[in-house]
Amino acid sequence: MKKGLIILALLIAVSSAFAADADKGIVTVYMPSPAGLANKLAADFEAKTGIEVRTFQGTTGEILARLETEKANPVADVVILASWSDGLSMKDSGQLESYVPENADKMVEGWIDEDSMLFGYSASAVGVIYNTLIYPTLDADWDALADPAYKNDIAIPDPELSGACKDFVAGYVNAFGWDTFEALAANGMVVPGANRAALDAVTTGEVGVLIAGVDYNAYSSMADGEPLSIYYPASGTVVNPRPAMIMKTAPDMDNAKAFIDYLLSDDAQKMVTEAYLLPGRSDIEYSNRSTLDEIPQIPCDWDAMMAISTDSAARINELCER
Amino acid sequence: MRRKVMMSVFVALLAFLILCPLLSIFAEAVFQDGIFSLGPAIATIRESENAAMIGSSLLLGLLVVITSSVIALPLAYIFSRTQLARYRFFDVIFMIPFMTPPYIASMGWILFMQKRGLMQQLFPSLSFITDHFFSLGGLVLVMSFHVFPFMMTMMKNAMLSVPSSLDEAGAVLGATFPTRLRKLFMPLLTGNYAIGALLVFVKTISEYGTPSTLGRRIGFEVFTTDIHRYATVAPIEFGKSASLASVLVGICLLIWMLQNYITMKKTYSLIGGKGGAMHIRKLSPPALAAAVAFIVLVIFFSMVIPLFSVISSSLINLRGYGFRSGNFTLGNYVRLFTEDNQGTGALAVSIFLAISSASIAAILGTLIVMAIRRTGRRTGQAIEAMALLPEMLPSIVLVLGIMLFYNAIYKLIPIYGTIWIMVLSYVILFLPYTVQYVSSSYSQISHSLLAAGRVSGGSPAYVFIHVTLPLISRGIISGWMMTFIIAFRELVTPSLIAPTNTLTVSTYIIRQFEQGSVGKGMSMAVICILFSTVSLLFLNKVILRKRH
Repeated sequence: MKKGLIILALLIAVSSAFAADADKGIVTVYMPSPAGLANKLAADFEAKTGIEVRTFQGTTGEILARLETEKANPVADVVILASWSDGLSMKDSGQLESYVPENADKMVEGWIDEDSMLFGYSASAVGVIYNTLIYPTLDADWDALADPAYKNDIAIPDPELSGACKDFVAGYVNAFGWDTFEALAANGMVVPGANRAALDAVTTGEVGVLIAGVDYNAYSSMADGEPLSIYYPASGTVVNPRPAMIMKTAPDMDNAKAFIDYLLSDDAQKMVTEAYLLPGRSDIEYSNRSTLDEIPQIPCDWDAMMAISTDSAARINELCER
Repeated sequence: MRRKVMMSVFVALLAFLILCPLLSIFAEAVFQDGIFSLGPAIATIRESENAAMIGSSLLLGLLVVITSSVIALPLAYIFSRTQLARYRFFDVIFMIPFMTPPYIASMGWILFMQKRGLMQQLFPSLSFITDHFFSLGGLVLVMSFHVFPFMMTMMKNAMLSVPSSLDEAGAVLGATFPTRLRKLFMPLLTGNYAIGALLVFVKTISEYGTPSTLGRRIGFEVFTTDIHRYATVAPIEFGKSASLASVLVGICLLIWMLQNYITMKKTYSLIGGKGGAMHIRKLSPPALAAAVAFIVLVIFFSMVIPLFSVISSSLINLRGYGFRSGNFTLGNYVRLFTEDNQGTGALAVSIFLAISSASIAAILGTLIVMAIRRTGRRTGQAIEAMALLPEMLPSIVLVLGIMLFYNAIYKLIPIYGTIWIMVLSYVILFLPYTVQYVSSSYSQISHSLLAAGRVSGGSPAYVFIHVTLPLISRGIISGWMMTFIIAFRELVTPSLIAPTNTLTVSTYIIRQFEQGSVGKGMSMAVICILFSTVSLLFLNKVILRKRH
């Protein structure tokens, strides 16, 4: 019995030492996919500064949940989300620290908020992704996909899990109302899961068309040689800056600021474009995907969108429930 | 006196480890901002979607009991009382579906059955099955094919214990085979069957892996998935999660009590001193053919389809082209280890957790068994009940409790958010294995052996090291190995309380399946199955065969 107690005591001692050690030279970053980019950014930042990066990677929904769980004992320094509107609601609830990073002046207009709390260091757009073995070409507009020709062959990522899809739904509904989504749902639209699961459904041909699919995933699968193609419908889509934010409760505030500076540096921005995302700075060049000015956009009223985004996302899942 | 103090420290330690997390669930469910109130908990349960979920959980449990009985009962008969009973290697073969982690098997089924999936590519004419499969029926089938070996083994052993003399007596008195089955076998086996059915029911409503993969696909929510969702997806509602967990605990405990009652009242001791000779029934050729066909069919559905599907998905290069010559590669396995350090990291974490939790559980479990043996009946029973509690409750409930409890006492013991809370959780979850294995080998030791050791002048420590320990070492090793195998693939703990940067084999597979590369995920799944199977074979062949 003594042995058991000693071991338990040791366990507790070791673990508290472990926890105490965590206060020096680290930065904890919560970030969404793509995992490859997150790992590369973390490794490069570690190499440049010697600050250890601890990451938690999950969907926007999982990251928000984790922050909520840890409210009593905050862990995160920097949080990156795939949804600008979720970033705005974090700002609204007073969770964010204001900071003016280096290179802030070079950012795309509007990709940094007026209080300098949200830094859109990269962006994605959603488009229509289709399987070229099933549809050799396709350029139908959003509402045209409700045509019986595509019955039971359309999917949408789960907007409650995918931040990009959530913002698109909010933007589209805000501009054009619910008619298109209702018609699509009536046409047998399915929700296979988060972004990657939805892309997988169209890659394997489980469905022929994925609407509101994030573009960088599609570009990277296309580069691998999968039978996919993507276009942005003529009536426009939502380009979604991915906000990096510093938590007010950050245990390692200086490191958090250094990490934000790093995200807007030339090297990090180059890695962003290599992951097929749109760079957050307007002076970075890229040629591996559609450029920002080539993408037709729906005019976005982010405040109005933030107000309806959570309910709209839930509504999509209700509409598509069978 | 000293012993008494030690013993109470020990009881307190177990209560702290096992009871406190459970109590914090009930506390979370009924305390709102420090005020006791049953209102919110009852409101949660009465919410229409939660009430519907409770209904569908129970329905799922019932359907799985029925379906797995249909699979298991004929097999139990075939392998206990016909000439096929000779083939003992089937015992090992039918362990495979039970040893394959359920989340992996259901991913295999999804990949096989989905629209334009493997089945439709191989047999386009069968595509009509797809829509039928993605339904409650498919979920029941997949869960039954996982759990049936459990019932089969129980019923097989029960049938083996019915002496043939009873059957012969019936035959001599002129009863036909169906009559003997109805009047003789069935009444004798009802008790055993009821126990098996209740255990399958508890296992089904406690299972998280299959509902979280296949169930989610078809929008079928059960207790475990709802508890998980309320605790992990924004907006977080621990109160609701805890209320549902409390209901689940209640149902499980009720079933265990029922099971206990049946064991006391309805089982017959059939093994007498005479050692009833076992006569096997020789099946007629058509019956034999039917039996063999049934076995082949079960093996096909429970093993061939999921394993084929997982293995072939791990070998497909471009998913868009599926089965096509030139589209097969070992690249997924290479990328698993070289593309980034997540794959190797997940393996390392799982191996670390498996080894550390198995070792701590082995030490703690042995101490518990010795404490039970050396203390009074009351204390011993209390200790045993606490140590075995984790096996009776769904792991998701315990892990939720651990999460709530260690979050609350973070200031005191700051292990929440570190790997140590996972080690702790694994130890608590798997402690019953060690306790049971060690307990059964301990009970075989005669007191006179220990007394002889003491009389010959050995100190208690000396007797322990040189007499007791060697005798119970096989129990300890078996417990260690079982914990090691099961901990290696554990899903519930890491999906609820893994710290940042920490993926295990199970969460790696799920993450890749849902958000990354299916090929890489399935490669890891193949590695995981190989690892479990090899470890189990090693346990069977090498360790357990050694005789003292």
